[in-house]
Amino acid sequence: MAEEHVTFHLPDLGEGLVEATVLDWEAAVGDGVARNDPLVEMETTKSAVVIPSPHEGRVVELHAAPDEVVRVGAPLVTFAVAAPDRPAAGIVGTVPEKEERPRRRVRLTPPDE
Amino acid sequence: MSAKLTDDVAMRYADLRPGSPADAVPVLLLHGFGTHFEMNWRAAGWVQALEAEGLRVIGPDLRGHGGSDKPTDDGAYLPERFTQDLVALLDRLDVDRVDVVGYSMGSRLAWDLALRAPGRVRRLVLGGFGPNDAFAGTDLNAPGEGESPFDAVFRTVSALPGNDQAALAACARGQAARPFRSEPAPEGIPFLLVAGANDPLATGAGELARDRGGSHVEISGRDHANAVSSRVFRQVAVDFLVED
Repeated sequence: MAEEHVTFHLPDLGEGLVEATVLDWEAAVGDGVARNDPLVEMETTKSAVVIPSPHEGRVVELHAAPDEVVRVGAPLVTFAVAAPDRPAAGIVGTVPEKEERPRRRVRLTPPDE
Repeated sequence: MSAKLTDDVAMRYADLRPGSPADAVPVLLLHGFGTHFEMNWRAAGWVQALEAEGLRVIGPDLRGHGGSDKPTDDGAYLPERFTQDLVALLDRLDVDRVDVVGYSMGSRLAWDLALRAPGRVRRLVLGGFGPNDAFAGTDLNAPGEGESPFDAVFRTVSALPGNDQAALAACARGQAARPFRSEPAPEGIPFLLVAGANDPLATGAGELARDRGGSHVEISGRDHANAVSSRVFRQVAVDFLVED
């Protein structure tokens, strides 16, 4: 399947905060991540937070090291994600992408017996 | 959800059930001073970590905090008022027994809950907490104005939106009116202490664990504000709760 690179920028953290410090990455370059997997732990002057992955894909670049300060809107991480299917020829406009359900790692699947 | 439990103080709480098996012990999360459930736990990755294990999460906003009512008299914040709220919450939810994970003030209240209602608590995880007086060096008539570790915490949290400074000051005085004692310890309830290596409010945690038969994990490079979101903390806590 075709891949494309998508960069995730530090989102607006609210409360007038303009930057946050990377405490620890929870994914490394080359790792596959599911949407909503813990991605990076960051600290602001107000609190410490874990930012979940906005995408399912593979991490291709981390733009800040632990202890580095990242401004809101600055690049945080780049993913390789599956390129969305192109609309079939003849259709004008775009087909809304189906929202993917977050993959949950609940260990409750009954055994195959 | 919100309910008036023990008096006129309404408590907001979350009750998150990810399809846990009937015999799994739910986890009660008790946030720290001046924060609330969403900020202390969900934003720090805890709800996801516990739900990934299939565990039910019960997360109150303690009185004086978050979406719960915020009385301003000191007596409303004696530790026993909080533990009464928590027992009433478990009764309301028809939950017999929980594992309790606390942070900072929430840890102290978790310890108290285990002492007052030992039949309701299976295991304890106490984060950002030690046996020493958390208010040492603080003028509780003017919290936030001095240079003690608690003054620093008070300054940070009283600037958070939604917080009521008078209620927080009353809460500090109510807590301080019942200094923590490590004896008696909750009997037969395994406990794990976890704190940042640079957390002055957790001084003595290692000794408390050693003297009272608990476990202790120190997180290098972390302080009182940022140990709570640590992956190490989440992992050791989950392991401690799910082990047979």
